Amino acid sequence: MSKDKEIKGYRQQPGKIPFAKPGSGGREPFSKLRDLEMIPKSEGGYRAQPKGKNRHDHLLTGSTIGRRTPLVDSNWKVTGQAKYGDDIRLPNELIGRILRSPHHYARIRSIDTSEAESIKGVLAVETGQKHTDLFGVLPVTKDEHAMAVDKVRHVGDLVACVAAENESVALEALRKIKVDYEVLNPIIDMKKSLKDVEEPIHNRGKYHIGRSNVQKRVFQEFGNFESVKNPYVSSKSKWKYAGVNHGFTEPHAVVADWEPSGRLTLYTPQQVPHYVHRSLADVLKIPMHQINVHRTFVGGGFGGKSDPFPHEMCAAILARKTGRPVRITFDRDEVFYTNRGRHPSHIEMNLHADKEGRICGIETDALIDGGGFASFGHVTTYYNGVLHTAPYEIGSFHYTGARVWTNKPASGAMRGHGAVNSRCAVELGIDDICEQLEVDPITFRLANLLPPHSSTITGFRITSIGMRDCLEKVREACDWEQKFRKLPFGHGIGIGCGFFISGSGLPIHWDPNKFPHATVHLKIDMDGGVTIHTGAADIGQGSDTVVAQSVSEVLGLPIEMIRVKSRDSDTSPVDLGSYSSRVTFMNANAAISAAIKIRDELIKATADICNVEEKSLVIGDRRIYQKKDPAVGVSYLEALHKAQEERGALISSGAYRTPPMGGVHKGAAAGLAPAYSFSAYAAEVKVDAETGITEVVKVWAAHDCGRALNPLSVEGQIIGSCHMGLGQVLTEEMRYTKKGNLLNPNLLEYKIPTIHEMPEVVPIIVESNDPEGPFGAKEAGEGPLLPILPAVCNAVYDAIGIRTNELPITPDKLYKLIEKKVRSLKLDSPLNLPNPKLNYSKLQNTLEDRADNHKVRDQDRKLDPKREPYYNGTIFGKVSTIPPEEQDERWTLSVTPSEEYLANPRLAGSAWKHVEVRHMKRGDET
Amino acid sequence: MSNSPHVPMIPTGQKSSWDAVINNRIFDDLNIESNAILLDVLRDSVGMLGVKRGCDLGTCGCCTVLIDGVPKLSCLTLAAETKGKQITTVEGLANGSHLHPIQKTFTECGGSQCGFCTPGFLVVISALLNENSNPNDREIKDAIEGNLCRCTGYQQIVDSVHAAAEILNSNQSVKDNTCAQVDPHPGIDRTTE
Ligand code: FES
Ligand code: FES
Repeated sequence: MSKDKEIKGYRQQPGKIPFAKPGSGGREPFSKLRDLEMIPKSEGGYRAQPKGKNRHDHLLTGSTIGRRTPLVDSNWKVTGQAKYGDDIRLPNELIGRILRSPHHYARIRSIDTSEAESIKGVLAVETGQKHTDLFGVLPVTKDEHAMAVDKVRHVGDLVACVAAENESVALEALRKIKVDYEVLNPIIDMKKSLKDVEEPIHNRGKYHIGRSNVQKRVFQEFGNFESVKNPYVSSKSKWKYAGVNHGFTEPHAVVADWEPSGRLTLYTPQQVPHYVHRSLADVLKIPMHQINVHRTFVGGGFGGKSDPFPHEMCAAILARKTGRPVRITFDRDEVFYTNRGRHPSHIEMNLHADKEGRICGIETDALIDGGGFASFGHVTTYYNGVLHTAPYEIGSFHYTGARVWTNKPASGAMRGHGAVNSRCAVELGIDDICEQLEVDPITFRLANLLPPHSSTITGFRITSIGMRDCLEKVREACDWEQKFRKLPFGHGIGIGCGFFISGSGLPIHWDPNKFPHATVHLKIDMDGGVTIHTGAADIGQGSDTVVAQSVSEVLGLPIEMIRVKSRDSDTSPVDLGSYSSRVTFMNANAAISAAIKIRDELIKATADICNVEEKSLVIGDRRIYQKKDPAVGVSYLEALHKAQEERGALISSGAYRTPPMGGVHKGAAAGLAPAYSFSAYAAEVKVDAETGITEVVKVWAAHDCGRALNPLSVEGQIIGSCHMGLGQVLTEEMRYTKKGNLLNPNLLEYKIPTIHEMPEVVPIIVESNDPEGPFGAKEAGEGPLLPILPAVCNAVYDAIGIRTNELPITPDKLYKLIEKKVRSLKLDSPLNLPNPKLNYSKLQNTLEDRADNHKVRDQDRKLDPKREPYYNGTIFGKVSTIPPEEQDERWTLSVTPSEEYLANPRLAGSAWKHVEVRHMKRGDET
Repeated sequence: MSNSPHVPMIPTGQKSSWDAVINNRIFDDLNIESNAILLDVLRDSVGMLGVKRGCDLGTCGCCTVLIDGVPKLSCLTLAAETKGKQITTVEGLANGSHLHPIQKTFTECGGSQCGFCTPGFLVVISALLNENSNPNDREIKDAIEGNLCRCTGYQQIVDSVHAAAEILNSNQSVKDNTCAQVDPHPGIDRTTE
């Protein structure tokens, strides 16, 4: 039998103690290798190493890393046993409902709740008057109340809430609440928010910018602007992006329960339970230790469940008042009125290239519509700029951005936070430049990439970069050379790239490098199973699985022996939450460092038992043994029981914090990350020039995730990102009338692609093996969304020769552009539009040579442990090892506009031009 | 005003007794209002919380259940219409702790990420596989066109259907998958395989 074969070669070792079956009380005599029977063999991981070294290489035991691993909580989901927000049913529960504002902007004169309160079955009616403490996800921009205190700021803003015995009574009570509003002039158009008005939507006191509705402004200039004055070619574009919603399938829901102990347990599908925890303490005015935040299963987040929400406060307030559990569940339209989706934005972008085919300047101006509240907007404003300064080496970067308040539901963080729209503009600009230079856009990109271990123009530290592999693999997979500019009219292919942070270097709530970003606790008791306590929120992306995999790999155990407890803040160490694509990177790193401590104890115990040196031992599949003579060693359980002698359960704690990095200029921390992901997609489309209908036929999607810990999940994330991005580029749009009424707060008219709109996606995983990532991994959850938008837009150009500048590209918009071009060319049919062609110029050869040279350079840098620093600016003739600002006195590094600039803005950026100079001089923003 | 008698705004229908066979269990002691929606009855009265409410408007497919074997959106179905019928929800797909092939392959092929849409997909696909044990891509797409999934981009769902069809056609019984995670001796099981 195979079991016997397994035991062959196993020798009794000197000093080996008799081993008793766990739970037997130690009296039963040692039976041979019983524990190997008890622990299932793991199915084996993927051992082939991506190129390069990682600090966790020696920890690989071949257990699960790299194996297609089903999600550890999947069986709950497929059997219907997973409990999401609304599935938490506590005995004696009440139903909570929220009264929402019917006005865009109004002052509340008075609220009369007496009639509602007198309805039979209504137990509590609450308004904002008593709960005036502000909260918000970012400590610098707290501007939300549990319910409106003085003003309502958008349709759907919370006014009052009720708790009743059942839903129909609750709804009726809402109708009986009388609110006296003084309607104010709403601001709907984001451009108008730049002007001074009598009554700005918020008042930020001394931080307020004039009397405008500008919430946050950013100005940044880096690099040498000489070359921009006289560029060889330029591409200028003005973009309009519609706002989009996350469209997760589970509407928000929350259950609040004050337990007999006087403590609150809040059950909520949250991405960032810790911030809710803090906000609850602020609003309820109780210490944090009196609150347990329980994260239920989360039915999709994508950023839309990462703010602390007013309705969560309402549930807690109602439950405190009534002494009974209160459950609030949203209707789908409430989800849209809560929003926090991607910012509608106006982006102007000028891209310049020089004779050598180098990108000598990117000038961007972004005006983004934040809606009624700040949410993550402070960060979004930076991200719209800084996240397109890579992966290319650029000569200068100029960014002005402004986020404004309007009387619409608040925008916030959504998959690809702040980077998606401006990335789309950059990638289209590059295609346009290539068209003018008559070169191939993939070659152009390959010839302008930053190398591994380099620094971007804004000072971000790039470690691993798999961009080149992504581009090359996609080029090959999609048969680019045969297709680009060669497909028949109406049929096209396009390329797009992406760059995204893998975790944000600056934690929102505390000074970096003092507290860790993530902490993980492990506990192993007599049973041998490993319990992981972590606060990381699994929102469906599989973070529980990744952390279980990491621990199982280090300890050489099958994943079935690992259980993850990640739901209750009472038992989980703080994790900052599932945003910024930080969980795999930070949490798995913390888990590994906790597991290493357990591993060391097991090795020490083995050394004691076998009387060998600790250094000579390694952990393999369920066994700890000598590396040079694998027959010498003990099983996992034997080692464990030895280690537990005299002290009981093994526990350990591991933490992760980012290394110190980044520049010192204002805003330098925005966009800083311990690693960055890269991606390149090609999309093939068919466009019907007579109707403007675009159909995406196939997508080749290469993403550099460092190392695929779980390829099944990485592929799922890539395909899912494509789906979401395709929605934004083709159909999805939160449509407002001029007066600001939302036309489509439902899933019928808000068009999420169904299976019929979904093309075949070929996921290509590129592994660049990040030196600091857990086993080399980086993020794969958000970055894969970025390239799909430009890839499709560029493909539309390849198909019919028309560049869009407005998303989504609905047939009506595209047809208008087609019609315009047909008229201007005096054609008789759209079918006669010229099909774009490409004849390479001489520059193509130059670029090909440069790309080849850089490829060698990159390989050398990656493998050379003694590599020198490399600063952006080198291909423009700077010495690579010295920061360009130290070599070139014209090299700017500035975050405040000069007088000269204010008098004569470089880019007619609406965000800056229209705001009065007076406010800027005062420098009065946070 | 506040002392006026209580008049409900939503007319509540008359209560009458209702019965159905839900996941092979007979429910015959329920009293429901004549305008009760099946989704509400299943979730709130029967306690089948596996049936999900994504929109309440017939646009997401999360609430799909089988009524006499045919997929129907329970948020658009009056409970009264289903009186005496056979209703299957996701909870009724597994045979004891032996998962339905599609449940097993959803796990293995990544058909479920956040899992909120999963119950809807599973019942629709189980009905499809019941009729057609070897559906092609087109047939699969047509079957699940009414179900939205925001996480997976559908591709791994289609993969799961093909994998499940393969299991069905090979006539293997699906191994006790719910237990693999909790079985104290799965190792022994595997070594004797
Ligand atoms: S809840 Fe029935 S279709 Fe959405
Ligand atoms: S798995 Fe999340 S919506 Fe389908």
